[in-house]
Amino acid sequence: MSIEMTPGLRSTYKQRYEPVDDGLRFQELVFEGNFVGQEPMRDGILGDKVQKQRAKSKVLEKVTKDDVLADQFTLDELNDLNNYLAWNIWDVLVMRATEGVSGMIPRQEYEILAFMHQFYRWPEILRMTTDEVGSQGILDIGASARREIGTKVNAVHDWSIGAVGFGMGRCGLLALEAIGPDDYIEESNELLKFMQRIEFGKRQDGYILNSQDRYRCQIHEPDFLQGIIDQIEDLEPESPRHNSFTRFNAAAELLSFLDHMDCRLGLGDTGPYELPNGNLLILRDLFVNEPIFHWSDVCDDAKLPHAYTVAIVIDPEKMGLQEIRVNDISTTFTRPKNYIPAIVGGAVFAREKHDTPMSEVRTIAIDDLGAELPRIQDATLKMYRKVSRMCRRDLIWAGQYVYYVDMILPYLRKAGTYEKACNEYQLWEIDQRVSNYYYDINKRGFAQEVVPQKIFSGQGYLPFGEGADLRRSKYRWL
Amino acid sequence: MQVVAEGFNAFETQKTPQGEVKYLGSPQDVIDVVQSGKLQEYILLVRGGTTTFLTPALTMGALGVITMSGAPESHLGILSREFQIPCVMTAYLTESDSRYVVGNTDDSHFDEIAQSLIGKTVQLNCDDAEVGRVSLIG
Repeated sequence: MSIEMTPGLRSTYKQRYEPVDDGLRFQELVFEGNFVGQEPMRDGILGDKVQKQRAKSKVLEKVTKDDVLADQFTLDELNDLNNYLAWNIWDVLVMRATEGVSGMIPRQEYEILAFMHQFYRWPEILRMTTDEVGSQGILDIGASARREIGTKVNAVHDWSIGAVGFGMGRCGLLALEAIGPDDYIEESNELLKFMQRIEFGKRQDGYILNSQDRYRCQIHEPDFLQGIIDQIEDLEPESPRHNSFTRFNAAAELLSFLDHMDCRLGLGDTGPYELPNGNLLILRDLFVNEPIFHWSDVCDDAKLPHAYTVAIVIDPEKMGLQEIRVNDISTTFTRPKNYIPAIVGGAVFAREKHDTPMSEVRTIAIDDLGAELPRIQDATLKMYRKVSRMCRRDLIWAGQYVYYVDMILPYLRKAGTYEKACNEYQLWEIDQRVSNYYYDINKRGFAQEVVPQKIFSGQGYLPFGEGADLRRSKYRWL
Repeated sequence: MQVVAEGFNAFETQKTPQGEVKYLGSPQDVIDVVQSGKLQEYILLVRGGTTTFLTPALTMGALGVITMSGAPESHLGILSREFQIPCVMTAYLTESDSRYVVGNTDDSHFDEIAQSLIGKTVQLNCDDAEVGRVSLIG
């Protein structure tokens, strides 16, 4: 694997934002997806450009509020979104596909069950939520992220509605031959509309994904952001305070992964925001205590907040920054890869509950992080012992809940429909079809070989057929 | 020093940790090595590239990690960078033709790597942008 990168230390990352620039290649692999017989696609900015060129509709360009409020996508728009999400999934996840078995959490197994469960069950719950607050209300929920930190209305959750629930869910069911390409079109529209409205409300620039904007997620309102910037403390690289800050970030990040069953729903990056002196700010939410999960009781015991937010200031010149991507799964990747030594400032905030008002979010001084760290480590070790004693089946269903519930949890909370979803729509029950698939996913390497191959190659995202009825659900089980 | 294995480099660093290769096959192995108080004597060898399995070792300050699958974009790659723990991922033996292939790798591939490295004293070199190297000491 090689990287086409300009040698030397001078930062060149701003060139990535020039219209003619195609970005760097972060991987040598290529993507074909549904574009059989055409030039294979590449990752990054170049891949986004080609997708836009090949689209039959304007849904990948900057869309308007009227576009977003319309209830129905056209067939071309649905297929363009399907193709784009398939590439985007490959772009952000294909190298992760190499990670193999966990040794503790059967993630491939829980992921595929969750994908299929989401595709079957989310549409009516998201429709109910839209009915409760209206289409404008969904845009407003997305917009709430512009004046908050420590919120799960963020890139990875927003992306998951369409990329995971629609894209991978439909792909998994097609691979299992449980559905055909023209089944559940109405439900697919419901999922993609919900995602588009949330994303549009959050970004407000007409794009819906970070990859459409050269991997920028610059969503916060300037006056709100200034309140964060005012709290930032200078950090001297390799100093004890620098070490304390980076260690805190890493430990909280690790616990957020563990609390979400080794999944990135525990993290949320926004940015990069350029500061007046040329440095870059990344805001990173780390959700170290999600109380809907029973295993998070150890985090309650350690009196950990729902989320820490770490403000990270990077000197792009110090690391010779060539490209920075805040991707659609809320993770920041840079070239060169190691940005830790280039951190020159930071701040830490704690949000006690998911709905704690922003005025009550507390700032933790960097000199006080030493007292915070042991509580994180204590909860981490206790949770590890707890998880390591869970049987395989419990781990799979626990992970399934993390995907299936948490990926839409923030919108239901904001809309006030979470309790209704639990009580009237049996959100935490498992659909009988998905329950039965539990046994299928272990056959013929389905979870660990077939699905990853279909999902990461893009081959499994079959298009909706020409002339397919947009109202179509599934009418025949034959 | 003889380079015995190479793989993806999780992040560029001048750190060159040295230690005895310790294979961790189960969560209990991870707990045991942390509780032994000897975590700092080992370079940890694991099969998967996921984070949660190594959680106690990462949070308690592992010296270095070698994985037999995974890439810098995987969770362990991200966390090793955040912790600044040098990490060589999807390592393969330089004198063997066997390579890890997603979804199609026989146990013999992992066994061969483990048997060649367990108990050996090695050094990790992770200064290259892409390739991480495992060298025998002595």
